Amino acid sequence: MMNVDLKARSSPLRVLDGRTKLIALAVIFVLVLLFSHPAYIIGLLAFVMIVWVVAKLPFQMLKDLMSYFLVIAIIILVVQIFFYPGTTNLIKISKPLPAIGFSGFITLEGIVFGIAMVLRLVVIMIVAPLMVMTTPLPELMLALVKLKVPYRFAFIMTTALSLLPSIQNRASIIQQAQLCRGISYDSGGNFINKLKASVSLMIPLILGAFRDSQTLEVAMNSRAFGAPTRRTFLLDSHFSTVDIIIIALSLLALIGGIALRIQGFGTY
Amino acid sequence: MDNNVVIQCENICFSYPNGVQAIQNVSLTISQGDYIAFVGQNGSGKTTLVKHFNGLLKPTRGKVLVFGEETTNKKVSYLSRKVGYVFQNPDDMLFCTSVIEEIAYGPRMLGMDPEEVKKKVENIIIELGLDEYRETHPFALSLGDRQRLAVACALSLDPQVFVFDEPTTGQDYFGSKSIMSLIDQLHQKGKTIVIITHDMPIVAEHAKRVVVMNKGQVALEGTPEEVFTQIDKLQSLSLKAPQVTMLARELGTQEKTILHIPEMVDWLTQTYLPAIKPAGGEIS
Amino acid sequence: MQTLVDFQHVSYSYSKTSTPAIEDVSFSIKAGEFIALIGPSGAGKSTLCYCFNGCIPQLFGGSMSGNLHIAGCDPFNDGIPILAQHVGLVVQNARTQLFNVTVIQEVAFGCENLGLPREEISQRVTQALEIVGLSGLEDREPTALSGGQQQRLAIACVLAMNPEILVLDEPTSELDPLGAEQVMKLIARLNREFGKTIVLVTHDMDFVAKYTNRVLLLHDHRLVKDDIPANIFSDFDLLSKARIRPPQVCEVAHELQTYGYPLNSIPITIDETLQVLRELHHG
Repeated sequence: MMNVDLKARSSPLRVLDGRTKLIALAVIFVLVLLFSHPAYIIGLLAFVMIVWVVAKLPFQMLKDLMSYFLVIAIIILVVQIFFYPGTTNLIKISKPLPAIGFSGFITLEGIVFGIAMVLRLVVIMIVAPLMVMTTPLPELMLALVKLKVPYRFAFIMTTALSLLPSIQNRASIIQQAQLCRGISYDSGGNFINKLKASVSLMIPLILGAFRDSQTLEVAMNSRAFGAPTRRTFLLDSHFSTVDIIIIALSLLALIGGIALRIQGFGTY
Repeated sequence: MDNNVVIQCENICFSYPNGVQAIQNVSLTISQGDYIAFVGQNGSGKTTLVKHFNGLLKPTRGKVLVFGEETTNKKVSYLSRKVGYVFQNPDDMLFCTSVIEEIAYGPRMLGMDPEEVKKKVENIIIELGLDEYRETHPFALSLGDRQRLAVACALSLDPQVFVFDEPTTGQDYFGSKSIMSLIDQLHQKGKTIVIITHDMPIVAEHAKRVVVMNKGQVALEGTPEEVFTQIDKLQSLSLKAPQVTMLARELGTQEKTILHIPEMVDWLTQTYLPAIKPAGGEIS
Repeated sequence: MQTLVDFQHVSYSYSKTSTPAIEDVSFSIKAGEFIALIGPSGAGKSTLCYCFNGCIPQLFGGSMSGNLHIAGCDPFNDGIPILAQHVGLVVQNARTQLFNVTVIQEVAFGCENLGLPREEISQRVTQALEIVGLSGLEDREPTALSGGQQQRLAIACVLAMNPEILVLDEPTSELDPLGAEQVMKLIARLNREFGKTIVLVTHDMDFVAKYTNRVLLLHDHRLVKDDIPANIFSDFDLLSKARIRPPQVCEVAHELQTYGYPLNSIPITIDETLQVLRELHHG
């Protein structure tokens, strides 16, 4: 997370209204949760990766995002493999341990479900940055508000994103300062040392963020944040034909997906 | 090679990954016991240059030698035992639960002998006047004491050279005086001092050598007297000489370079106002 | 000239602290004045600044006593958004006050909060950016600006709300000399050309001597002196107690006085010093 640059960049998807992208995003989210069969999720994943290419976003970033995600993915996979209540027993590991919910077997369903979970998260991990990198934050804010998301909530989201670079910057300064004290951040050394090194980064970072947030609160309020008037926006946005087509297709996909699911497809 | 040289920059250039060239052909020598201030606007390259002294940055061309060793393959943690670097904001590095722990952290991480570490921490705590705070949580200290603690942490690695990044920025007169007197103390003990700052008054009052950076190159260099009297050159770099120096120029002092208040008073009483007798007595 | 600001025996303690951050502070400010607020760190200057736009007591809680009127508003009861239209507050660190992704969006933020129509927002933003000298940088990221530009942007952000009063808490102490000069020149202009009433917290005594017409000296949480710069910088006992260093020429003049030279007054700028020395020569 420390080096990922989530700023909006030039992309063909910039011409779309923020609402269009949010609606498409929402539909993908729903579909990915609706289906639990890995094949369907892989289909969605393929679609999302095609969109990534169309949006002209860098591949390197995909690799970076996936590498941060790797550890979590493995944990999720392992947990599902061991603890998912499947019925097709494959490999016996040990006696049943009801206390922790372990049936004693690795089940086929467990493996399949584990893979599906990981794939779902991969889709989400790709689609969220996709949204943010093709939509400047003021447009994103406007889109959220026009879709009736409460302003305060939209503000929290977009401001967190806009402040991310300054947090990354501070993290870099803190790391440099700690290097000058003899603290090392590279991969050599045991786990305990690495943990301690993280603490030496996290504590000043979090405390600094807390202090800055107090200044931010004053600055925001000094500019009438939270005034009881109905808030207006400098920016404006309108749907074009392309937007309407994409929204229509998204809704069709949603309906189609729900229909499939009702008919029993999409699960293992 | 001169045994007195601690840091040597041989025609170095530095460019950031995004292509911006921050340092262009800078050659510089710092000797043992120097007290040198690097000044200039933000973006002049002063901080970028000084970060080469402890390996935080490595030159993209040319060599930087610290105590005769090239920095190119050396880790910052290794060079920090020769060149200590104290960042501007102590809160960017304090994270332990007591002052003692904070000072001991670096040496412990570097694998120093625990007994050695204990002794070292004891000495430093007393030397820097933090004795009464040994078990105090760093964040309960005042800003001035947190700064001292940051210096203590750098001191714990026993470097010969100390770099201070903007030690007085954002502080009032008393806070500035306090940290500068600590820096002077270190210098008197034989340490080599490097300060990065844009606080011109403290440069005039403390530094023995000044390097003015502009657009990645050395624009002016010399003793404070030599540098600060070039008022026009400084002005073209948007830097200001001390008020007394500017007053001296208005009054037309040719013979002396006036940097400090006592010098101005002396000159006024002995040279500029000699014909006037002060009320009730002679000119002193 | 009408009285814009009136503090009467104002004291304030932050919540959960027993010592007051400011104690029994009384002063008033007339429209168009340029006030310097000086004092050592911890004296209560920032606290006093936050009292101007209602952040104290409304945002910070704590306990406040005394009477306080700012531009006809009541900081105890009138909402901060109302006060924000009369008082623009700019704090020390430029970067932490900026949280939007473009300059134009940053300046528009306050106007948007007030619910102004789009055309008016656009007008105010353009004007504010022009006054501070950042026209043409509308689409830049605030984080890509220099420190001086960022602080001028912060000023533009509050200018867009059209306040009569500007309160600036050490706006230049983290800036390099060029940035500091740009910001200070702008502040002087805002007072001189645009008639803004300014309260400036600063450690730059040379600037105070040259541009401000009144100094409030805070020490140990109290207002210990309220006077013109010349009288403040010649009160050497008070200056040394309050750990304030006056412009160097003042100290030179003070030394000359102790030597027995009959100075008519203590000069606070180079020009005044030349004048005083000329008088000595011919006197």
